[in-house]
Amino acid sequence: MIDADLRSMRSKAAVHRARMAVVYFVLIVMSVLFFAPFLWLVSTALKPLDQTMKMPPVWIPHPFEWHNFWDAISYGREQLGYIPFLVYARNTLLLCVVTVAGSVASNSVVAYSFARLKWPGRDLMFGVTLATMMVPFPVLMVPLFAFFRHLDWIGSYRPLWVPLWFGGAFNIFLLRQFFRTIPFDLTEAATIDGASQFRIFWDVIVPLSKPALAVVALFTFMSTWNDFLGPLLYLMDQKTFTLSLGLQFYQSQHNGTLWNLLMAATTCVILPVIVLFFFTQKQFIRGIALTGLK
Amino acid sequence: MMKRKEAMAGYLFALPWLLGLLLFMLYPVGAAIYYSFCDFSMLKPPMRIGTDNYHDLMIDKVFWQSVGNTLIYAALAIPTSTLTALGMAMLLNTRVRFLPVFRTLFFLPSLIPQTSLAMLWLWIFNGEHGVLNVVVNAVLDHTINPIMTLFHHATIHGPNWLGDVSWTKPTMVVMGMWTVGNAMVIYLASLQDVPASLIEAADLDGAGPWQKTKNVTLPMISPIILFNVITGMIGALQVFAVPYIIFPDGSPARSGYFYTMYLFDNAFKFNKMGYACAMAWLMFLGILLLTGLSLWFSKKRVYYGGT
Amino acid sequence: MAITGVAMAACLFGLETVPLKHDKPGRIHIKYWEKWSGFEFDAIKKIVDDFNASQDKIFVDLLQTSEIENKAMFAISAGVPPDVAGLYSPNVPHYADERAIIPLDDFCRESGITQGDYIPAYWQLMTYKGKVFALPTTPASTALHYNRGLFREIGLDPNKPPETMEEMDAISDKMTVEKDGHIDRVGFTPSEPGWFNYAWGYYFGGRLWDGVSKITAMDPGNIDAYRWIESFGKRYGGSALTSFKSGLGQFDSPNNGFMDSKVGMEIQGVWMYNFVHTYGPQIDANAAPFPHPKDRPDLANTTYVDADVLCIPRGAAHPKEAWEFIRYVQRQEVMEKLCLLHKKNSPLTKISDHFWQVHANPWIHLFDSLARGKNAKVPARVGIWPEYQQELSASFDQALLLQGTPEQILQDVQDRMQAKLDGYSKRLKQREAEGL
Repeated sequence: MIDADLRSMRSKAAVHRARMAVVYFVLIVMSVLFFAPFLWLVSTALKPLDQTMKMPPVWIPHPFEWHNFWDAISYGREQLGYIPFLVYARNTLLLCVVTVAGSVASNSVVAYSFARLKWPGRDLMFGVTLATMMVPFPVLMVPLFAFFRHLDWIGSYRPLWVPLWFGGAFNIFLLRQFFRTIPFDLTEAATIDGASQFRIFWDVIVPLSKPALAVVALFTFMSTWNDFLGPLLYLMDQKTFTLSLGLQFYQSQHNGTLWNLLMAATTCVILPVIVLFFFTQKQFIRGIALTGLK
Repeated sequence: MMKRKEAMAGYLFALPWLLGLLLFMLYPVGAAIYYSFCDFSMLKPPMRIGTDNYHDLMIDKVFWQSVGNTLIYAALAIPTSTLTALGMAMLLNTRVRFLPVFRTLFFLPSLIPQTSLAMLWLWIFNGEHGVLNVVVNAVLDHTINPIMTLFHHATIHGPNWLGDVSWTKPTMVVMGMWTVGNAMVIYLASLQDVPASLIEAADLDGAGPWQKTKNVTLPMISPIILFNVITGMIGALQVFAVPYIIFPDGSPARSGYFYTMYLFDNAFKFNKMGYACAMAWLMFLGILLLTGLSLWFSKKRVYYGGT
Repeated sequence: MAITGVAMAACLFGLETVPLKHDKPGRIHIKYWEKWSGFEFDAIKKIVDDFNASQDKIFVDLLQTSEIENKAMFAISAGVPPDVAGLYSPNVPHYADERAIIPLDDFCRESGITQGDYIPAYWQLMTYKGKVFALPTTPASTALHYNRGLFREIGLDPNKPPETMEEMDAISDKMTVEKDGHIDRVGFTPSEPGWFNYAWGYYFGGRLWDGVSKITAMDPGNIDAYRWIESFGKRYGGSALTSFKSGLGQFDSPNNGFMDSKVGMEIQGVWMYNFVHTYGPQIDANAAPFPHPKDRPDLANTTYVDADVLCIPRGAAHPKEAWEFIRYVQRQEVMEKLCLLHKKNSPLTKISDHFWQVHANPWIHLFDSLARGKNAKVPARVGIWPEYQQELSASFDQALLLQGTPEQILQDVQDRMQAKLDGYSKRLKQREAEGL
């Protein structure tokens, strides 16, 4: 009897080992496939132009043209009188700071209202908020453009950051879910003591919500850094472009593209995002997991 | 009294959003309806033309082509992305070592800006110097092609991803598969939430891995799957940035011309903003319809026993 | 808290001041957006510098703008237009109908600029519905450019360029090198450079519209043209041609397909000598009138003419000063200087002997005579041109990729564009009636 058990246990272990081997194999193959484009990106960025067009492809460039990165960043300097890439980076960073500040401030305040305050119509409003996530941007595109045109805001950055100071459905949802997990007795005590809502919000909720607020800040930063359609619609002067929009500048207008410089520029645009991610991994993953919870 | 004060505070705190809703959501949506019954551009005041825009859309071949392109793309992209994301999440859920490393690696591509994504893949898919076909052809030559020659069949090559009319949408789908990191993380988190007791119970009943997945895991995470499928669908139907860069004007032959691209061109290239608003409204109604269908279809299949 | 507040304020300040316009005291600054890059840009910069130095009331800020036909319209819609826009002549009808640019008739009258100052083909490009909306910077006409070295290589007389399409097709077949559906070198393909895919009908005697209200996509000349385009798809493979094209290098570089001897013959404009001379001195190139169909000798010396133009957008901050600059460019000595720098012909009827004497383009007389010839064809001056152009571009792809017969493809173009044109005209009339 014991022998039979031992045998079945061993065979189960063997099957398990075989299965895990398959799993690891697939994961490693997928990892290679997922990482390869990044490698190719950097490899192309470091090549002299003629090497990019060699067939069969040159995997490891020789020599390593590190100056490609500087060339890409300063591309167009003579024509424009300034270094476009650095200017775009500056524009994008400034915009990110303003949108992150606005997003964190407005969304936390609004989410507090939905999560911790009772008012007539609150749940209906929340439902409406969720529903707005289904409205596709193209519906808003033309009327918003006309609206901003009327205000003479096209060509400035205002259409890109002002709306973020009014809150957004996604972040409101995220923060509201989080705020509701904070025990109500904490705030009840403060209410009984006669503290105003703002005091409670500022002194109790906010300190406890730093992780969630960090997630909102992070998501907003990424969203602004990566935004393409917004800058495309609202920014006119090339000097005001953001990185995402400015990358098109490297695509030649007539025919043909300087692939090595384009890839070098692309690397420079992606790099900050990846670096940021490495420093904030935990928050990121947690934040995304939070959004999945219904 | 307290209740009234609380309600006042509630409205006050929610004010930014209530205002924002009005200005940046309700007003534009309403304006879009009005404009869709007008002819107008930024340089000319709106002029009412009744249902002309809608009528013209119905007889516009390119409109239908863009609808078709978008639907085909969505029909291809949503299942493949879902399967890829879910599949990878399930693999990662098997208590592998180095989980954070794998997870990071798979997640990174979904972070990069759309334009960067487009530029990178424009280069990888390039007809002459693209590295993808080198790899694909190498694999084919070592696996399938020897068999093909054995049976006196012509050998298969990597396709002309960007220049062949039938490959434009698959190209987008391949790119989409690379960026499933976001969805994968959500699936992983929800898989890790499935109560171990249920899995163990199934184990004791002698269930194999496939049965466990089908009867326990999938039903438990079905709300998440539904959520991801719906958001994925809404995103796929609005696709713009990547094809705008990779398939200018939807070339070749408008095979890569998607709905939002045609909308954008109508509004800003051809100066027909009323026409574009009509397109936008039809898109909105379409999305509402598809979302409603998905929710209705999922009623019997989604299990909300969890939270 | 205070620190974040200050930091925020700083960032906001930074964002607000970036797009700010600054006016130096004294001079009025006007913005001039021009499409050119490289040495063509340098040339117009010289002209702008000359203008700025020649007087002290106006200062022109020149800005290189790619895709100007879209960006300018966008900026005008957005309320932030330049004062002078350097558009392409096919853009003029659409911009005029959309009220994006202002008529220049009064300005012309005040300054004494008349129709007779310009070569007729080019004057046609400046007017629309009886009004002047643009004046030229540099003109262009197109012709066949061919690589004499490759002619020699395949045993043909390099001094005998093809005169008929059939000859050219035969030469192309000899010159094209392909294996396994992969093209290494092509003799001729209508998709290179692909800038005038909408103009092929002209070379077969076709017209794009009747000039009044009817689209004429099914004109027999157009059908012949599309049958000819389709033949390239059949002979070389449309997909293979697209792939081949995506591997060619930048236009203004030695990796240009023509300069790299990868493309043996292509249709190009008068500007091409400049680029060949700079980036492809190693090849022995020449220009000749574009061939005509064998059975249509009346179409010999057909050339598609175009021009770069200057327009004043509606809403420009300084239209009068903008006109001063445009007027300056129209002066014979200034125009000739610009055209000499671009190595192009001049759009003016009066040309100085000096112009011909110092002209560095050995093919200049060819392009000049083509432009003055009876078969100089101008782009369709129809208000729905952006849509028509996109439609023709897509149908060109379809023909090359063998997605339907030429008749089917052009019938679709005809039906769709006629519907668009009818709607467009109807609404223009309605606006006039309602005074909107």
